[in-house]
Amino acid sequence: MDERDRPSGQQGDADTDAELQAVREALAELRRELRTRFLRTSESDTDSDRRIDWNEVLISLRRRAATLGMSERSGEVDEFGMDEVVLRRARPLLELLYERYWRVDLAGLANLPEQGPCLLVANHSGLLPWDGLMLAHAIERRHPSGLRPRFLVADWLMTLPFVQPYLARLGGVRACRENAERLLESGHFVVAFPEGVKGAAKVFRERYRLKRFGRGGVIRVALETGAPLLPVGIVGAEEAHPILFKWRPPVGIGVPFVPVTPTFPWLGPLGALPLPSKWVVRIGAPLRLDPLGPGDAHDELVLSRLTEELRGEIQALVDAGLRARESVWA
Amino acid sequence: MEQGGGRGPGVVAVTGISGWLGSRLLSRLSRGDGVRVIGLDERRPMRLDERARYHRIDLTEPTSDGALARILEKERVEVLVHAAFRDDPTSDLELDHELETIGSLHVMHACAAAKVKRLVVASSTMLYGPRPDNPNFLDETHPLRGHPDAHAVRDRVEMESLLSEWAQRHPDVEVTVLRTCWIFGPEFWNRVVAYFALPVVALPLGYDPLLQLVHEEDVLRAFEQAALRPHPGVFNVVGTGVLPVSTLLRLGGRRVLRLPVSLLSRLAHFPSQTQTGDPPAAFYDYLRYLWVADGRKAWNAFGEPHYSTKEAWISFVSSRRMRRYR
Repeated sequence: MDERDRPSGQQGDADTDAELQAVREALAELRRELRTRFLRTSESDTDSDRRIDWNEVLISLRRRAATLGMSERSGEVDEFGMDEVVLRRARPLLELLYERYWRVDLAGLANLPEQGPCLLVANHSGLLPWDGLMLAHAIERRHPSGLRPRFLVADWLMTLPFVQPYLARLGGVRACRENAERLLESGHFVVAFPEGVKGAAKVFRERYRLKRFGRGGVIRVALETGAPLLPVGIVGAEEAHPILFKWRPPVGIGVPFVPVTPTFPWLGPLGALPLPSKWVVRIGAPLRLDPLGPGDAHDELVLSRLTEELRGEIQALVDAGLRARESVWA
Repeated sequence: MEQGGGRGPGVVAVTGISGWLGSRLLSRLSRGDGVRVIGLDERRPMRLDERARYHRIDLTEPTSDGALARILEKERVEVLVHAAFRDDPTSDLELDHELETIGSLHVMHACAAAKVKRLVVASSTMLYGPRPDNPNFLDETHPLRGHPDAHAVRDRVEMESLLSEWAQRHPDVEVTVLRTCWIFGPEFWNRVVAYFALPVVALPLGYDPLLQLVHEEDVLRAFEQAALRPHPGVFNVVGTGVLPVSTLLRLGGRRVLRLPVSLLSRLAHFPSQTQTGDPPAAFYDYLRYLWVADGRKAWNAFGEPHYSTKEAWISFVSSRRMRRYR
């Protein structure tokens, strides 16, 4: 305090250099002292910081949990409800599943056109649409166009509570002709699973035997929009959720049957997690529809012939994929 | 008055001028020069544009078709805009039916008798019905499946089917049907808007469907154009873009309470029955399943809407904020 008083008191008759020097020294000392005090307090602060601040940890955990959910989704979605922000968050997880968990072996990406529209038709398996998610992820990350394909999802899943909000945000679209046509007309890659629920509900002993393909809807859509039609064989998704048998409960509980897998419903919700099978995905060459056009879209005989041809090609791709695999797990 | 080739109509009549759509459309149309505007309603509205002529007509009366035809003939009405629909359903199911279905039938008969050139009818995309098996975009050709429990929707579905039958029998009358989705904006108010204006909005647990809104300004513009220029056919008057319900509410700063549908319906049962006469599940289904309409046909005819779904919502929310601090 007196250091401060002295310079102000002596300002008037400060005529000697020595006096000025004294003031300067006093000020410098003050500054030094302040600095050491300040540093000392900050040092003690860092000491306490080294101990774990549980409050901080809790806050950061809560924040992390919030970002895992959808609390920070964007204020924009595209016309089918795909949300780029949710997708950006989900991509690391999808990549992990793709590369590490199912070790997807992908071939035939060169068969895809450089730009949309394009209709990919694949065999379906598993009650949850992991096959659609993985194929969409593969094409988005590995195809030069970087377009995210939309996968068509069966009605009952697309309106299933709790699943529906997530599926739409990840690019799932309810499977119907109007949606497929609109997507193809706006130049999207579209993944369709014409086996539908029949494919998803296949029991394990029928694995990789393709079921009937709807009523020729995929061929009709391809003919009407002129989009190339690519067969895709997906191997491995069947073992992710192997359905041993379908249990039809004696009393109605709102579902047609309960799928019984080695883990579900024995392990409860944990049993809904997919098993780490090895996946092989083969994208085939476009189906030849050359002389046919939109005019043939209502010729039932042409439709059923082409549908059967397409089913044969996908079955061949699936069989090739099965041969490419050493075992279910490798 | 003239734009393009066709001459605009000389006399336009609007029914239901006590409602929001009728009154706003009336003042909008009377602002245009060369157009004489006739307002029709059961009772004289408190505020009536002085340029408009008012005639009393009660569409629920059995002989109102003849009375309306006489008014239309006397005033030499060329275009009739039929907007005499409830903004909200009431618990008087019978009266609602008399007004919306039978009243519309009276309007059609009067139009045929008075040789009106054009009939513009207000409808709603709610008539498509919220269904799990709806495609993401419903176009105008999609069947109107409605909702079995919502009587206002049921009445209007019946009205539209009567209208399309009638239109086939009277090819000399141009019929325009404008189906609007949920209207939001600074002015418009009905039960749906009131629901979304609550500080805590209850939503069905596990569902987050895409919603589509339209701004009141775009609705009025479409109706005005449909009244002044020939646009025969059915149009979905909707905003561009879609947003999940939860995103809308978050943008509006509303708190969301997620409840299982069964519990939600039970909680809302009593107030809903007394106010609308319908079980609440009818309303909550519109917050569970898709019923988004494809508006491209209307955008081509009436121009792109000025407000997207998001902008319509923000316009509504910001107007509410201003009102709170007024």
